[in-house]
Amino acid sequence: MMGSMSGVLVIEDDDRIRLSLVMALEDEGYTARGAATAEEGLAAQRAEAADTVLVDLMLPGIDGFECIRQLRRVDDVPIVVVSARDDTHDIVAALEAGADDYVVKPVAIKELSARLRALRRRARPVTLDPVPVLAFGDLHILPEAGEVRVGGEPVSVTRTEFQLLCELAEHAGRVLSRQQLLQRVWGYDGGDERLVDVHIGRLRAKIEKDSGTPRHLVTVRGLGYKLLPS
Amino acid sequence: MSWVGRAGLRARVTTGFAAGALVLSMAMAVVSYQLVRQSLIAEREATAVRAAYYDAAIVEAGVNNNPAPDIGTVLRSLDTGESRRAVLQLDKHWHARSADTGLTDAIPAALQEHAADGRVGVQMVRADGGPALVVAVPLAGGDVFYEIDSMNELERTLQVLALVLTLVALGTAGAGAFVGWNATRYVLRPLIRVADAAQQITAGRHFARLDPATEPDLARLTDSFNHMVDQLSARMERDRRFAADVSHELRSPLQTLAAAASVLDRRRDALDERSALASGLVVAEVDRFQRLVNDLLELARTDQPADRQDVDVAELARQACRDHGLDPAIVAVLHGPVVWSVDRRRIRQLFDNLLDNAASYGGGATAVRLTGGTDRCRIEVDDEGPGVSPEDKPLIWTRFVRGRSQSSSRADGGGTGLGLALVAQHASAHDGTASVHDRPGGGARFRIDLPGCL
Repeated sequence: MMGSMSGVLVIEDDDRIRLSLVMALEDEGYTARGAATAEEGLAAQRAEAADTVLVDLMLPGIDGFECIRQLRRVDDVPIVVVSARDDTHDIVAALEAGADDYVVKPVAIKELSARLRALRRRARPVTLDPVPVLAFGDLHILPEAGEVRVGGEPVSVTRTEFQLLCELAEHAGRVLSRQQLLQRVWGYDGGDERLVDVHIGRLRAKIEKDSGTPRHLVTVRGLGYKLLPS
Repeated sequence: MSWVGRAGLRARVTTGFAAGALVLSMAMAVVSYQLVRQSLIAEREATAVRAAYYDAAIVEAGVNNNPAPDIGTVLRSLDTGESRRAVLQLDKHWHARSADTGLTDAIPAALQEHAADGRVGVQMVRADGGPALVVAVPLAGGDVFYEIDSMNELERTLQVLALVLTLVALGTAGAGAFVGWNATRYVLRPLIRVADAAQQITAGRHFARLDPATEPDLARLTDSFNHMVDQLSARMERDRRFAADVSHELRSPLQTLAAAASVLDRRRDALDERSALASGLVVAEVDRFQRLVNDLLELARTDQPADRQDVDVAELARQACRDHGLDPAIVAVLHGPVVWSVDRRRIRQLFDNLLDNAASYGGGATAVRLTGGTDRCRIEVDDEGPGVSPEDKPLIWTRFVRGRSQSSSRADGGGTGLGLALVAQHASAHDGTASVHDRPGGGARFRIDLPGCL
């Protein structure tokens, strides 16, 4: 769906961090390039779309949160936030803006590489289920096409959201814990559960008529989430 | 500790009140007793002397008016009642009523001499096992009339009086103790509030303050206490912010170092031996530096409460064991449910740090035991290393205190010296405690008790 695959785009205003990250990612086998500002990064992404974007939150001019929102408006490229800020408020705000994952500086390159690999696996939605359409009332999931429809209308979801929905659909009617979802979708062992909560929230905003009283994607207190069968 | 201090003060004040009341009331009782006794005895003496004079007059008349007096009859004619008994010394011979023989022994020689000089005398003696007054009235011709007045009744009265006064004194002492106990309770109430507030502050609730309006008399205490707490929490906040700011500022350069070090590390084979060694050191130290900064930032979050949610702690422990290259089968659930309401991130780090610690100092963890209970949940991590010496036990929870490593080379790059401090902090964030014990059979047993997690 996009032109050439250009690998990883690193949007980071600190020259040394950007340079070292680009070098280290290239060592890990990625094609990487850097952008010093959000504006530069957005332009680079428009010109030649990378298949993953790393974003710092504190950027001059357009900040990281706004940068994520603008990237999201264009496509569903996986976005990983790499920030020195680790308070809950920032993490949740970045995820709500549309980021797929969040790592706190300093992150080891092996760790970052593992996160990127997990995201890339998600970039091509594959499900073992050969059924062309999974229907849950007015909610239809087309695993092959990577599409979600509500009441016949297509809904745009990110790859992470789609993967999350597919996992829940595959186990429809059964509860999946946050840790199980983290492992299946993000490839984390014992990761930050806020990732799941924020993504569930975003999914609800897209597939539920009233996200306050969900009819498809329900929370099972103390256990996790489940997708109700039709 | 504060309770013992309070009880001590309270007991002392109460004892003081009781002792004071006892001394005062005893003094009052003794004085009253003495005054009453003296006045009763004086009155009794006067009565006895009067009666003796009267009887002596009758006896003298009876003896003198009769050339051959029947002294027994004369003495019997006296109206002495039950308590008085008359004895007549006539021409050096003793005469008494037949029932009163032997009484003469009770009459002291000094009194006899006194009477022989022709003077009236009164003396207190013991007769028939009780106190008695002996009154000597000299008669004409060197004869002496004695009357022995038993004071048994008066003695009994005084005994009753003494008993009553003693009881009153003891009662007063008891009342003093009661007043003291209650007064101290009232006086100590504000101090108990101070102690409660101090306890809350110790537990990390820095907003605890005393209300100056409740006790105007103790305004100085509440003011200075609140001021002290303000200063203390401002200082702690400054320290915390400083640690957080410093660590935060270190994050960006560390990110560059981490990425650059990994680039160097990849090219190690292309470097000459010396450069490869140096780059190895850089990579290892950057890794340690990274962990140190993360631990410091974690420590700076002291005031954040535990973010509790239902966590399968057994699974978390097994995961931690797998990540440390240990067999997850060493995790044993001794009792109770394994889903606890705890902060997943903190408990995971608690496991990681205890397992790290066991690997560094105890030759590796040999058992992780979990006990779920309604009052408290317990985590124990055992190793079979040399254990922790008694003098080190309280110290190991302190920041940057490191034990002597078991392994001669620390291939893991060395600890940050903050691992166990963080364990203690995570335990206390759950209102729990961390302690270290001797494992039966050798080695150390680290124990974390977390109350109210079910």
